[in-house]
Amino acid sequence: MGDNAAVDDYQGLVEVADQGPEGLYEYFSERGWGDGLPLVAPTHERVEESLSHADGDPDEPVAILSPRDGVATRRAVAVNAVLAGCRPEYLPVVLTAVRALGHQQVNLRGVNATTHPVAPLSIVHGEVVDALGFNAGLGAFGPGTRANATVGRAVRLVLLHVAGARPGPGDASTQGQPSKYTYCVAENSAESPWEPYHRSVGVEAPSAVTVHCGENPHNFHDMESDRIERILDKAASAMATFGVNNACISGGEWFIGLCPEHAAVADGDGWGRADVAAYLFEHARRPASEFRAQFDRLAWADWMRTADDEALLPMTQEPGNIRVFVTGGPGKHSCVIPSWGMTRSVTLPVAG
Amino acid sequence: MATLIHRPDGPLADGAVQLSSTTPVLSGGRIGVLDNGKPNARLLLTRAAEGLAGRIGGHLATVTGKGAGANAATACTSQVLETLSKEVELVLTGSAD
Repeated sequence: MGDNAAVDDYQGLVEVADQGPEGLYEYFSERGWGDGLPLVAPTHERVEESLSHADGDPDEPVAILSPRDGVATRRAVAVNAVLAGCRPEYLPVVLTAVRALGHQQVNLRGVNATTHPVAPLSIVHGEVVDALGFNAGLGAFGPGTRANATVGRAVRLVLLHVAGARPGPGDASTQGQPSKYTYCVAENSAESPWEPYHRSVGVEAPSAVTVHCGENPHNFHDMESDRIERILDKAASAMATFGVNNACISGGEWFIGLCPEHAAVADGDGWGRADVAAYLFEHARRPASEFRAQFDRLAWADWMRTADDEALLPMTQEPGNIRVFVTGGPGKHSCVIPSWGMTRSVTLPVAG
Repeated sequence: MATLIHRPDGPLADGAVQLSSTTPVLSGGRIGVLDNGKPNARLLLTRAAEGLAGRIGGHLATVTGKGAGANAATACTSQVLETLSKEVELVLTGSAD
């Protein structure tokens, strides 16, 4: 370590006395940068190598990110991808996720300003999953795979640095959540009975990324059922809780991450993705009176607001808000991923 | 060994942090309250505005919400912002949970 005095120039280059792990860590910490974990030095050579996998002008904005109103240029995103430990060829996936975060319906200002623990989940679809070595199988949400770990981390570093979403001045989350470090998973198309998720939402591309701003996954398990209704009843029970924002914000989405074995049961019963969503819409319900007893304010659709107390109301206002994809490996654990609420997912084709 | 690295934060958008000029003297000024939709925000902000008005010899000119369809997690409508900019010199807003 040494005296890491900064020498700013117009290209955003600074001089550090020590680019080793401890020197870089100290330099970043002093400036309020970083996520608390060791970083890879974003040298000019590494950033240029990363940018060689992007298509456009390195200094062209791909998104403007709130609350800092930072310009996420390809170069800025590449810098954070290097810091996160991404291989250079991951950059188009990170760029696509960042591009999605810039869409108005994500409401990134709200995502970062809220006291809710929300984090953007990047779901990677299509050919790029195998091509870049994403783990869509056993432990898909967990550690051990560079692509999942570093792409999710790169997105978070972009939020910390470019969007200014630092806990406190830029991120008001009361407790935070572990997925604010990294949150990236891949769709297991090889073991999904249905078309890839991105095609189901009209994105006709070989590869795509979906960004959903929500909570950590909530597990549900069913080890024994051979009927999809009995499996989805567990999902419905995990959804029908008052502790999630979906309970008081009816426009919020749910992402349902079915494991391949649960998805196979659905397929064996002749169910498609829309059937799963429709079932959960009908069965993840609580009486209107219970919602009203729990909340003073309900951001509900009009038809829910006027329902009788005895009416069973859903955990989102329409079945289309329940979005189903397949991920994970052998076993019978699936998950539901609640939304922050005032945000919509975005799916974009992978592009550099 | 000294090395050049890239900053991680990148540039700011043009005009991203341009705030309107502050009112140099508040005496006798008109104060507005913008209820951001959080619980008790209107009550808290109105009380604060009334207290401020009493100290500066101003008055509470308007209390408003963010506009149709807006809530604590979404932006104020431009119509409400335009109205406030014409009617008051100071706006109190931003109660949290």
